[in-house]
Amino acid sequence: MPPVVVAESLTKRFGEVLAVDDLSFELDSGTITGFLGPNGAGKTTTLRMLLGLAAPTKGRALVFDRAYGELEHPALRIGSVLEATDFHPGRSGRDHLRMLGQSAGVADSRADEVLALVELREAGRRRVKGYSLGMRQRLGLAAALLGDPELLVLDEPANGLDPEGVRWLRDFLRRFASEGRTVLISSHVLAEVAQTVDQVLIVSHGRLIVESSLEELTARVSGVVRVRSGDSVRLAAALVAESLKPTKSDERTLLVPGATSERVGDIAFAAGVAVHELATEGSSLEEIFLQLTSDGQS
Amino acid sequence: MIAQVKAELLKVRSTRTTAGLLLGMVALILLFVLLTGLLSSVPSLSTAEDQRQILSIGSLAGVFSALAGVLLVTSEYRYGTIRPTILFTPSRPRVIGAKVLAAILAGIGFGIVGEAIGWAIGYAILSGRGITFALNGGQTAQLVLGALASIALWGAMGSGLGTILRNQVGGVITLLAWGFVVNPLLFGLVPSVGRFGPSYAEDSLVGLTTNHLLPPAAGGVVLVAWTALLAAVGLAITARRDVT
Repeated sequence: MPPVVVAESLTKRFGEVLAVDDLSFELDSGTITGFLGPNGAGKTTTLRMLLGLAAPTKGRALVFDRAYGELEHPALRIGSVLEATDFHPGRSGRDHLRMLGQSAGVADSRADEVLALVELREAGRRRVKGYSLGMRQRLGLAAALLGDPELLVLDEPANGLDPEGVRWLRDFLRRFASEGRTVLISSHVLAEVAQTVDQVLIVSHGRLIVESSLEELTARVSGVVRVRSGDSVRLAAALVAESLKPTKSDERTLLVPGATSERVGDIAFAAGVAVHELATEGSSLEEIFLQLTSDGQS
Repeated sequence: MIAQVKAELLKVRSTRTTAGLLLGMVALILLFVLLTGLLSSVPSLSTAEDQRQILSIGSLAGVFSALAGVLLVTSEYRYGTIRPTILFTPSRPRVIGAKVLAAILAGIGFGIVGEAIGWAIGYAILSGRGITFALNGGQTAQLVLGALASIALWGAMGSGLGTILRNQVGGVITLLAWGFVVNPLLFGLVPSVGRFGPSYAEDSLVGLTTNHLLPPAAGGVVLVAWTALLAAVGLAITARRDVT
């Protein structure tokens, strides 16, 4: 199956500033990809080029093998939300959906369907002015879903959502992708999407610095495991036998880089060494993310 | 394109802006017709030109039609709905073309309401004061149809101006400053140039016989040319500009 999204050397220059620098990636159908990077890394600019709102200085972006603007009624294949606040405050949520739907030939009844889907049926006829940020986020998502798309592109969808809303969004996206559909979701906080995405693209200063599955990233970032045991000599030998490189912290404590606490615990158990303390130090996903993206600056 | 025009008309109908403009328009037309009709002396309401003046007060609807056109475009930029609009319809010519058409249709609505009120009250005052109606059938038709066409085109000119400027306050101020200050000044000082302004082209189209005005047909051509020019410039700018 051809990739759903292809970015080829995508580049955008604003005067002196190179906002997006030679970015290339592909997305396969049925995947959820986290598009990550600190604010100002070029994520939104990349999405704008992908969605035909901005013209690339160089390179090109294809969705379903075509430039977005060349698709007749792209909203029937690609649903997207760039800003959570793109509503006329005096217009009802339902009318917002109807006006967009009408331009793509979508029946008004579909507006009611997607309102129900994002749990805004009650509020649909009220003016957006009275909506909370979470409701606006969901209304934006409802607009993206109007055309029953195969690809969802969401820019920072978790901004302003409460934990319950984040969980709702995660479940929703999981369900969406399980139907073989594709999701591209940007965020400046890895933890926000870590439980949702299959793979990550990390950008910093307009450049792609990491492209990997979430497992690979997790493996790569697994930090130092500190283990205090009844017999550190025997445990050290067992760890070395598993090609780990433990170092001694004190008489009874070893530090094991590049391992997970599960793995160290299992090795200790297999070696028959009693573990008194086992902990992963530093290097949570988020710390590694910050480290990676700040490396990009050097 | 028809679907896009329908969507644009829904945008016009689904906020209170349009109702507010209609209300303002009705109030203003009522005020002007009543003041003119009741405070003027009978002799100063007797010539065909006098009666054209009072009976064309309904064409104030053009101001509101133009404002609606400006707002139809600039509110999309103000509230960011331009993003979903372009995401759903990436073709800029289709979006702008639909806005111009929707503004024309909305303008016809403004025109019908404005003209109906202006004529009903104006005519009632003339006949109530026993003044003989001085316009023949052709002149009456020109006054009504010319005004309706102008009011509709004002909507299109407003949407073209809005497309060029994008900024809501800037668009409204530019429109009002041009229509009520710059163009009248220009017409007063250099009538041979000022008469090519849309308001004076409209005056000639409806049959007013003020000095220096263009012939009626030329007035119509000038109005259409203004509309086409504003829309074309707006389109050229929008096609080139990223939506941010």
